[in-house]
Amino acid sequence: MKKKAISVVLGMAMLAAAISGCSGTTAATTTAAATTKAAATTAAAATTKAGETTAAAGENKKIILITMDSTDQHWVNVDKGCQEEAAALGNITYKWMAPDKKDDAQQIERINNAIADGADAILIAANGPDAITGALEEAKAAGIVIVYVDSPANTEAVATFSTDNKAAGKTAGEQMLAALATAGVTKGSIGIVNINTATDSTNKREAGFREAFDGSAFTILETQYGEGDAAKSQDIADNYITDGVVGIFGCNEGATVGVGNAIKGAGGGIVGVGFDRSDAILSLIKDGSLVCTMVQNPSVMGSEGLKAAAAVLAGETLTETAVDTGVSIVNKANVDSLA
Amino acid sequence: MEKNETREKHTIRNILAIRGVGQIATVTIGLLVLCLAFAILNPSFYSSRNVGNLLRQIAPILIIGIGQSYVLITGNIDLSIGSVVGMSCMISATLMTKGWNPWLSVVATLIICIGTGIGNGLLVATCKLPPFIATLGTMTVARGVAQIVNNNYNTDAIGEGAEGFRTFFYYGKMFGIFNTVWIAVVLFLLFNFLLSKTRTGRHIYAVGSNIDAARLSGVNVSFTTIKAYMVSAFCAGTVGLVTSATAGIGTMDSGNMYEMYAVAASVIGGVSTLGGQGLLLGTVVGAAIWGVLQNGLQFAGAPVAIRNIVIGIIVIFSVLLDVVLRTGRPRKSAKGAAHTEG
Repeated sequence: MKKKAISVVLGMAMLAAAISGCSGTTAATTTAAATTKAAATTAAAATTKAGETTAAAGENKKIILITMDSTDQHWVNVDKGCQEEAAALGNITYKWMAPDKKDDAQQIERINNAIADGADAILIAANGPDAITGALEEAKAAGIVIVYVDSPANTEAVATFSTDNKAAGKTAGEQMLAALATAGVTKGSIGIVNINTATDSTNKREAGFREAFDGSAFTILETQYGEGDAAKSQDIADNYITDGVVGIFGCNEGATVGVGNAIKGAGGGIVGVGFDRSDAILSLIKDGSLVCTMVQNPSVMGSEGLKAAAAVLAGETLTETAVDTGVSIVNKANVDSLA
Repeated sequence: MEKNETREKHTIRNILAIRGVGQIATVTIGLLVLCLAFAILNPSFYSSRNVGNLLRQIAPILIIGIGQSYVLITGNIDLSIGSVVGMSCMISATLMTKGWNPWLSVVATLIICIGTGIGNGLLVATCKLPPFIATLGTMTVARGVAQIVNNNYNTDAIGEGAEGFRTFFYYGKMFGIFNTVWIAVVLFLLFNFLLSKTRTGRHIYAVGSNIDAARLSGVNVSFTTIKAYMVSAFCAGTVGLVTSATAGIGTMDSGNMYEMYAVAASVIGGVSTLGGQGLLLGTVVGAAIWGVLQNGLQFAGAPVAIRNIVIGIIVIFSVLLDVVLRTGRPRKSAKGAAHTEG
């Protein structure tokens, strides 16, 4: 009996460890899901100091974009940004080599193809930090300029154009403050629905969001974690509402849908601000359940990335190598132009 | 044959006697203490709004807890529950966004989920894989299916045509109580009847308490195990439908870690992880404790790390309590039987 008792207790200790430890294992998938599904077309605040003068005419350079896949609207918009910039610059031969699905082997193959194709520069959104590093180092050895768009790998490149999640979170916080001010709310508590403690991008968003409230009269409650599950996030948001919050921030798509649904269910009256864009989120903005959502700017990643690559190829030095492409704010006023 | 049947009944009666109301009563007192503590910490906890929400938050945990209890009582475990929830959520939502009739989508989804349960049962009972490994495999497969059905994206909104579906599984109320709670009540009554009053139920206990004795007394062990996994997958599938009705979209991450919630609800309620023992009534109390902790600790403003620690300790404590209660009882004969199963 004693043996049995010990085994049961050990089993439960494992369970407890799994409960607290499991969040780590979901990090990879949730981060992937956090990548916005589609992109904003509105212009953003991103700027590169370099590349404003076009490269010297005459010499034609070949620039190749390699994304994670070919179908996602996010990548289609990166490509669109590249195309526009290539057309504007004039002396660029631009090509998009997209794997048909997110797969490290396919991405490596595309890099090798780009080298064989005689690329002068490669713009790449790395699937993961490590898998493609070797292939990229080979490309660099062949004298090819590497620029990261959206997500970098673990080898140095001339520049990275991606969303600064902390700054984006701060923008979300400022939007909420503005909406609360408009509603005449001057104090109260605010809830945050995040994914889990292990997702870096959403933790940065949360940190930025909290920073926006520094010194304000509002109290930010303990963060709750919905595991990226819209239904669970909705339960959490329901609880926040019962507890009398004046605003709730959703850190990713699932959390944002949950927050919006909960506010809708409560009949409004709470300021909901979210992150990412999806059809469900847009309709929650249209019906007023959410005030706004932050969406990334993939076309800016493409245009600025290509501009930087062209500048380096023309012999210029970039003044800024880690560029935040910013977020666009989608609210009731501009949501119809997107849907 | 007659004799075997009697012996089987006799064993089960013994088990039920050991696992009687004593354990459940103790845990219920714990539940009341928790509720009282949370009510003192934050009065919003017992507001009528929260009581309604809380019951609705407990319902899915109870449903998957019932499924896990069935499997645990046969002496196995189902780790695929959370992923089957996610798969059900994504399949049902994807079908609805593609214009399927919601109720047809529900039927198709549940059939696929039950199929997964049969797969689990076959792997464990027929292929003799350790249940931990077999269901770890299907857990990964089902999550993969959840991701692939809509090409690695959460679905769009399930649409106007699905309002009835959303009302039925989540938003609607009957006699002032949310439909999700009623669904849980109906499933509880159904599966409790099945477990406590039918031959299948007795076989489930028999397989879990002594598999060889069960086989020798003519119980079809494989089929019984498969049935338990089917119940588990059906319950998980139902919760998946609740989550897609809740959010109005399919989320690939739906049901993450629910298998752990289900284990916790079962063991807190006194279902033995070693098989052969446990009552679904205990699972009700276990699910309630789990739901109250999740909800109450949010109202109490506890940081997530503290919450994990508290929940872990409560799970361990409740099992310890269970073990202490049981060892304190003079039931030599039953103890002997319990030993052989481990």
